[in-house]
Formats: sequence, structure tokens, C-alpha cells
Amino acid sequence: MMTLLTDVTVPTALQQRTSGRLHLHFSQADAPSLRTKLVVTDQQPPLRVIRAFPMKDGSVLTHLHNISGGILGGDQLTLCACLGESTQVQLTSTGATRVYRHRENYQDAFQQTHFVIGKGALLEYLPDPLIPFAGARFQQQTRIELATGAGLFYWEVIAPGREAHDEIFAYDEVGLTLDIVAENSPIVIERMRLRPAQQSLTSLARMGDYRYFGTFYICKVGCAPAVWSALEQTLFTLAQQRTVPGEILWGVSTMPAHGMTVRALSMTNRAISDGFYLFWKDAKEKLYGKTAILPRKVY
Amino acid sequence: MSITFLKLMHLADSAFPIGASSHSYGIETLATEGSLRAAELEAFLADLLWESGLVEALFARLAYRLASGNGTATHALQAVLPPWLQLNQMCAAMKGARESRNASATLGRRFLQTVAALEQDSTLQDLYQQTIDNAAGIHYCTAFGFVGGHLCLGEEETILAYLQQNTTGLISASLRLLPIGQGRAGEILWRLKTVIAAVAEASVPLDADRSANSVIGPNTSYSALAPLSLFTPLIELGSMRHPTLHTRLFIS
Repeated sequence: MMTLLTDVTVPTALQQRTSGRLHLHFSQADAPSLRTKLVVTDQQPPLRVIRAFPMKDGSVLTHLHNISGGILGGDQLTLCACLGESTQVQLTSTGATRVYRHRENYQDAFQQTHFVIGKGALLEYLPDPLIPFAGARFQQQTRIELATGAGLFYWEVIAPGREAHDEIFAYDEVGLTLDIVAENSPIVIERMRLRPAQQSLTSLARMGDYRYFGTFYICKVGCAPAVWSALEQTLFTLAQQRTVPGEILWGVSTMPAHGMTVRALSMTNRAISDGFYLFWKDAKEKLYGKTAILPRKVY
Repeated sequence: MSITFLKLMHLADSAFPIGASSHSYGIETLATEGSLRAAELEAFLADLLWESGLVEALFARLAYRLASGNGTATHALQAVLPPWLQLNQMCAAMKGARESRNASATLGRRFLQTVAALEQDSTLQDLYQQTIDNAAGIHYCTAFGFVGGHLCLGEEETILAYLQQNTTGLISASLRLLPIGQGRAGEILWRLKTVIAAVAEASVPLDADRSANSVIGPNTSYSALAPLSLFTPLIELGSMRHPTLHTRLFIS
């Protein structure tokens, strides 16, 4: 059982609904195939995977299912994926992650994710947006460990709520922590505690008039700083081209080491999702000389 | 007491020669594009204090405790160096925009170097040199906090002074970007003092053990960040997009 450095203390007097677990281990098959293969070492509903689909470029695609259809108050979910040396894995969700209204006397819904990416391995984590419903309370902790030569494409979009129901920033609290650690040194630390009723998200210090927030992390441990400077310039041009003030803002920046961050604030999810694909496509081509293949699913 | 107070006043003076007035940390983009207007400046700065101000105050406080908890005689420097480097790494990892991160690292480096020279302090000089030798950054908040602890300037006073001068710097940048006068700027800074005091108070780490090593040791480093929330995407995008401006008054 892997443990996370960032531990949240949850009041134990409150009820827990379900404790879902998914532990995935990816390793490389013997020569000559060298294909990535999946072993599910632990699987506890509502989290579930069916299989790993081989892709043209030698990687495998795995869909992460939540058979509850969403995250309910009291859910305590753990997802761990360990990528062995030189494996290539794409993980995606089967649809938006819906976080339902909090239920009284239940713990906050909680999801802990831990990815360990081995030497020369590559993880592409490309989920659909997170949609916190009105009254939702959700805590998410993510830790990603990258070994020498390991790579990562990781995006995340946070929706304001169910817009069709006029639920804009009507959730109680969404807490997101993320640590990306490369060769034991932190390169990204995120600590977000979004409580729209207490601290207005429409403040100019936060989101202004925008509703959707997206982040895309691109890492490859060991790439020379010059590679990142060149990639930053390429993606910067793309960010400028895609920015339409009042509709969507894009920004790119190198990390302290080993990677780049792409940020977006937008009025729509679609504009972020379409843009992320373009950034991913350019970055994968430059860093790996490979084509970005969107996960096979209904869009 | 009087000497330490005077030293703190000196270090927190906006005229302290480290180049702080050359940075807007993304405010220039927001002002130039019309997202930030004069009427919104005070509320904007108050919210910013509760986000990035709180984060920087915590890092400054951890650095203060690192310096004061271990003593910084030369023989103790080797004990201080690993958590000091780690603290700065963590600080850098929380700054998503390169321009703002580089600004913080530039000011921190100059600050530590300048104080080491003013004090003719070999410990600060060694800390500076060894940090540079380790190719690590020295962030402004950590440098300010460390110097405060090393010179025994008082923990609360150091944190308050850091936040005060940081806010003064942002208001000074805004003065050059927005249609506000010196009088109005002074009023805003005066009213923000209650926010500054509240943010400083909120920046105390949750750890029961207040010693520096317990907070930033290798196994507990992340727990020190538990009370934090940093969600400032608009200003961060302002910093990331700053190079796109046709005319720039500021480096960041």
C-alpha cells in the first residue's frame, strides 16, 4: 500500500459511505513485444477498470470507471498507479467526474491519487472535467513521483458547477492538493481550497469573470533547460493565438525544472478541452517525436 | 531593541536597493488590458494578501524559525543548509509563473547578499554562497524571514514588515499603472493594515512543535503547507502573459 505525504485528517465521527480502491501496476512485457501490460492488484467498487487497450504507438489506454456514476458525500476513494520502467500508459475517465451535493453527517467526499512513474516511463492522464454540484464538499489529494527520464502529460479542468441548472460556484468546498516530485525534489506544489461562499471566486485576485479553470502539466525528467525554453516559446505562440480576452485566457510557463505548466481560464469547458489537445499535440511531438492520440471514447 | 527595530525598518524600506520596484508580478498585464481598474485595487490587494500573501508569510515564518531555532553560527550552517534549500525548492514549486518566480528569486538573492555585506556577516555570506553553489534559488520571502531570525528582529515583527513592504511594492507598481494619486494609494495601504495583521496571524504553521526542523524536516515538510490555499489564476496568467505586452514598465 503506497502512502501519501499529504495527509488530510477527516473527522472520524462522521459516516463514510464507501471506500473504493483501485491499484494498478503497469510493466513491460518481455522482448520482442515490449508492450505495456496491466495487472490490477486491488479493485474495490465503485472504482473499476475493465482492461488495458493496446494503442498503435505501443502504449496502453485504460478507462477509469466509477460505477456509482459520480462521487457522493462520504466516499473515500483511492487510485494508485505504478508505471514500471519504460512503460507508456494513457489513463482517462469515462465521463465528467460529478461530485454530488454533500450529505449531512457524512465525511467530505475524498479522493486520493498516487502515481509513481518509473524510469523512462510515460503517463498521460487525461480525465474529463470535475463538476462539483451545488452543496458539494470534495477533497482531492494527488501526488505524482517521477523517476529519471519519466514523462507526464496531466490535465485537469474544474467546472463552476452544473451550468444548465444555474449552479455557478454553488458548491460548499473543493480542496485540491497536488505535488509533483521529480527525482525526489518538488517541482509543482498546488494547494487550493475553493470556498465560493467565503472567498469570492469572481474576485480579480482569483478567476475574475471566468468560470472554468484548467491546468495542463507537461514533464520529462532530465530534459535540458534549453529544451524547455524552446518549448515554452512554441507553446507561448499557441497560447497567444488561442487567447480571446473575455472568452479564454491561456498562459504557459516553465516549471523550476523538468517541465512546463499550461493554465487556462475560460467561459466554457469546450474551449479549454480543445486547447489542451493542441498543447499536448505540440509538446508530445517536440519531446517524444510522437503523435498525441486522443483516448478512444465518446466525446 | 531600538537597533533591531531600526534594522527592520531599513530592511523593509521600499528604497532598500534590491530592485523591488521593477516588478509588478502580473499586475501590469491586468491593468494594461483593463481587467484591473483603480476602483477595484483595494479589494484586489486584500484578496491577494489572503492568497499569495499568506503563502509568502508562511515561508518567511518557516525561514525565520529555521534561522532562530538552529542558531546560525558557522558550525551550525551545515545543519541549516538542507532544510533551507528544501524550503526554497518548495517555495519555487508553488510559484507557477516563471516571471514572478524569477522575480522572487532575484530579489531574494540580492536581499541576502546585501544584508550579508551590510552586516559583514560570514554566516549569511556562507549561506548565500552555498545556496548558489547548490544551484538553488533564494526567494525573497525566505531570505527576509531568515535574516529576521538571524538578526533576532522578532518573528511577528518580521512577518508583518515583510507583508507591509510587499503590499507597499504592489501599490507603488499600481500607482504607475492606474489613475490613482499618492493620497489614495496611502489610504489603501493604511486600510490594508488590518488585513496584513490578520494574514500574519493566520500564517502560523499547524504543527504543535514550533521548532524549525519539525516543520521543514524531510518527512514533515508538506504538512507545514496544510493551512494554505493559493488560488490566483488570473494574476498568474497575467504574469505568464506579461511578455506579450507591447510596452512594459516592469520586468515582471
